Amino acid sequence: MKWVFVFLSIAPAALAAGPVDSCEILERHGKRPEAKSCYQKLTGNSNPAERAEGFWGLREYDRANEQFKLAIGQQEKNADVRVRWGRLFLERFNKSDAQQLFKEALDLDAKHAGATLGLALLASDGYEQQAVEFAQKALELDPKLLEAQELLAQLALEDNNEPKAIEEADKAMKMSPEALDAMAVRMTIDLSNDKKSSEWESRIKAINPVYGEAWGLAGHILVLNRRYVEGIAYYRKALELDPDLQRVRAELGVNLMRLGEEKEAREQLERAYDAGYKNALTANSLTLMDSYKNFVTFKTPETIVRLHKKEADLLRPYIESELKRAIATYNEKYKVKLTKPVQVEVYPDHEDFAVRTLGMPGLGALGVTFGTVVAMDSPSGRRPGTFHWASTLWHELSHVYVLTATNHRVPRWFTEGMAVHEETAVSRDWGDRLDPTAITAIRDKKLLPVAQLDRGFIRPSYPNQVIVSYFQAGRICDFIKEKWGYQKLLDMMQSFAQSKETAEVIETHFKMKPEEFDAQFMTWLNAQVKDTVEKYPEWRKRMKELQGAASSKNNDEVIKLAPDVIAMYREFVERDSAYEVLAEAYGAKGDKAAALKVLTEYSAAGGRNPTTLKKLATLQEEAGKPKDAVKTLERLLFVYPMEEEVHRHLGDLYLAQNSTDGAIREYGAVVASKPIDQAASHYNLARALQTAKRLDDAKEQLLLALEAAPGFKPAQKLLLELSR
Amino acid sequence: MYEDSHSGTSAVASAGATTHCIVIAGLGGEPDYEQRFGAWAQELDLTLKAAPDSRVETLFGEKARRESVRAAFESVAKEAKAEDALVVILIGHGTFDGNEYKINLPGPDLTATELGEYLNRVRAGRQLVVNATSASGGSVHALLRQNRTVITATKAGTEKNATVFARYWIEALRDAGADTDKNEVISALEAFKFAEAKTKQFYETNKRLATEHPMLDGGDTAGPMNAGRFALLRIGSIQKAASDPAKRELLAKREQLEGDIDRLKFQKAAMPTDEYKKQLQALLLELARTQAEIDK
Repeated sequence: MKWVFVFLSIAPAALAAGPVDSCEILERHGKRPEAKSCYQKLTGNSNPAERAEGFWGLREYDRANEQFKLAIGQQEKNADVRVRWGRLFLERFNKSDAQQLFKEALDLDAKHAGATLGLALLASDGYEQQAVEFAQKALELDPKLLEAQELLAQLALEDNNEPKAIEEADKAMKMSPEALDAMAVRMTIDLSNDKKSSEWESRIKAINPVYGEAWGLAGHILVLNRRYVEGIAYYRKALELDPDLQRVRAELGVNLMRLGEEKEAREQLERAYDAGYKNALTANSLTLMDSYKNFVTFKTPETIVRLHKKEADLLRPYIESELKRAIATYNEKYKVKLTKPVQVEVYPDHEDFAVRTLGMPGLGALGVTFGTVVAMDSPSGRRPGTFHWASTLWHELSHVYVLTATNHRVPRWFTEGMAVHEETAVSRDWGDRLDPTAITAIRDKKLLPVAQLDRGFIRPSYPNQVIVSYFQAGRICDFIKEKWGYQKLLDMMQSFAQSKETAEVIETHFKMKPEEFDAQFMTWLNAQVKDTVEKYPEWRKRMKELQGAASSKNNDEVIKLAPDVIAMYREFVERDSAYEVLAEAYGAKGDKAAALKVLTEYSAAGGRNPTTLKKLATLQEEAGKPKDAVKTLERLLFVYPMEEEVHRHLGDLYLAQNSTDGAIREYGAVVASKPIDQAASHYNLARALQTAKRLDDAKEQLLLALEAAPGFKPAQKLLLELSR
Repeated sequence: MYEDSHSGTSAVASAGATTHCIVIAGLGGEPDYEQRFGAWAQELDLTLKAAPDSRVETLFGEKARRESVRAAFESVAKEAKAEDALVVILIGHGTFDGNEYKINLPGPDLTATELGEYLNRVRAGRQLVVNATSASGGSVHALLRQNRTVITATKAGTEKNATVFARYWIEALRDAGADTDKNEVISALEAFKFAEAKTKQFYETNKRLATEHPMLDGGDTAGPMNAGRFALLRIGSIQKAASDPAKRELLAKREQLEGDIDRLKFQKAAMPTDEYKKQLQALLLELARTQAEIDK
């Protein structure tokens, strides 16, 4: 949710006769009862636009809306009224109608500053780059438009550009000595820099002793910087001053939920909702909390895992095992011991997960971390092959450690870069590949200077810039580790923990200016990707030819074309990659050895198509390499562990290799999948348990098998054997 | 367990009886579907012909014209006896105009009413129709009658998108996992449940809105019992013991034990868990011993 200072917006020219201004001045000075009386009087005014303002001031939004409708009916050509009505819609969560009204106002008056400001506020709500442009334009149109100037200060602060934020805020204060929101920006900067007190606090209170909005802004900015605990504290302070700030209350509730404080989160969200604050974030968060009854929670001293009931039995062993492995690894690597258990929530419905990231710019589309709470998609929530859940889990866990180590004082680019770096550190085939988006950005020289890289996450200026920024940040951390060693990354982390800016950290640790660092990084990166970037247009052309040959089943042509296509862009392992097309052609010609070789390369390059990986496992088995097949299927489980057949087959392979732990886990997964053939699933698990000499457990499974199918002869025989 | 496979019933038909199968794959409309429907029909043809007591007529591509379908039914009508079984499987695109269902065939389409008439002329006392086409739910009313089980890929004629149910129906006939009661016979009910579950899984996995909801006898409550009694395919050799007089006593004992187990399972919810398990284990052990004696 964007901070929109509705009550402090300037009095519109059409309503400048005085009465609205008077009410706003009272409001601005915290004289709430007087302001209320003032608004009450406005509701009896003959001008419907003023009546609307009155009802709006009294928080009677429906009546305000009716009056604006009337006003427009009477004054069709009045752009001001349209803008005010649009602002009402904006405040009441209806962005599309707000936008429509701002546009109508601009149709009537192309130079309407208020309408342009309205568009700026709309864009800022979505963290769009255009917000700055619109706000600047609004100021050009009306240099006295205080709210636009204050918005520019806030936008700079959201971009973590403190000098710019201070400059813009100071300009606002020159425009008006009562620029409360500019003061709030200055106060927030002090608070986020850990100053124990800020002169701006007393200056704000001198003008308006109950101006909770200022602390609401502080909370908002700290939350944006992942400093949730502090953000929550400021939200509380805002509500102490003004308990009617329902937007702040909703934000408080959402952030309590993010940190796992669910009881109070629900209370705060319900209070906001009951008071009429029913925006998408509040409503969806409450709905999500209602759905928690469908989840089960598993606790250990170090972990809390929340899984949906329908898949908890299946996923639990895999998630817990990776969680444990990641914690052990990161304890060692980051030299940090977490003081709280890590909570991991896994959502099979992507929409539920999406609620967790709503209102937060630049967060991952697959997983998100709030302090020690990780929320992520379930592998069942995505199309098979499009999501490496284990990689995502390790990514998010890295955030938990980096945030803890820096006490949440870390720029977005660094924590994302570390997380991306850690993914491929686990295994080269994990993490994201060099994708066409990144290639295009490198080619078009769109990578950002390291000192400004946060902007790529928070306020992207072109589509997919967030994805490119993830890639760039990850590669910067790879570069640092390769050139200076992993310890250098830990040293940087320590500096960030002391609230040092990126530029300073770069200069301190690398003894060079950020510009020089950028140049060295680009040289390093180009050495790896230059060839692929340069050949990318040719690769696209050849890929089309290859696809044409594949569709016409011209296997000889595929076999001729594909090796070059692969060599041009080895990291391209997306669906219908050249590797898969080539393997298919080899398969059609009966050359299994060649198909096996190509698919082995595909897998090593990070290929994740479950169907293709299953083919590879089959080829490996046929080639007498069951251990390789096991590795391939284990890799597949990190991508898509939902297929009963894969678990059963992997169980068979493990059992054949006398690897009883693996067999028990895999046959257990089949049972947990609640398969159609329940008897066979219990029987297989019984066989594995028998091999592991867990005879009582084996017998238990046999009884379950025979309960489902009493005449199941293999199970009968084993039961007799175990009962001798 | 509805299938009485241990008392001599053939996996597909009673001793001496024949299972007549007619597989019809309609027009694909485009090469991809044309190829898919034809391939499915041929797979079914192979699977069904593997049973020694079956006669299979498979029509797909240009051969699947209405007159050929009628001729196939007329031929079966001439041969089929009351103790025989009839299995009809329809693959392809179907339509439903709110009143009448049709399967798209080369030339004139075939309506459900016409199909019902063809079926009615066949004396086979047990009949199964698997209409795996789109909109197949619209055919239930015209096809359903006593001693005939009707399985459709869709719950209504309004589910018009191409279906995947046929693919999983075929898989059910090839996957021993479909035989959930492990009696070495896949019944129509088991095949239906298998294909239904796989169809549901297909849509869930691919994150697609399910556009088909398979139905058994249009949802009639007696449907599962009738389909459970319809033995579709034998996947083992279970018949030997039945003909050995020396083992009749053991067979009777086994039947008794199976009944006892069924009754115990029925009482499960009302029993203490430990007591239930104890009794179940005793019965299962006894059943296992009895079966071992039978198999000697």
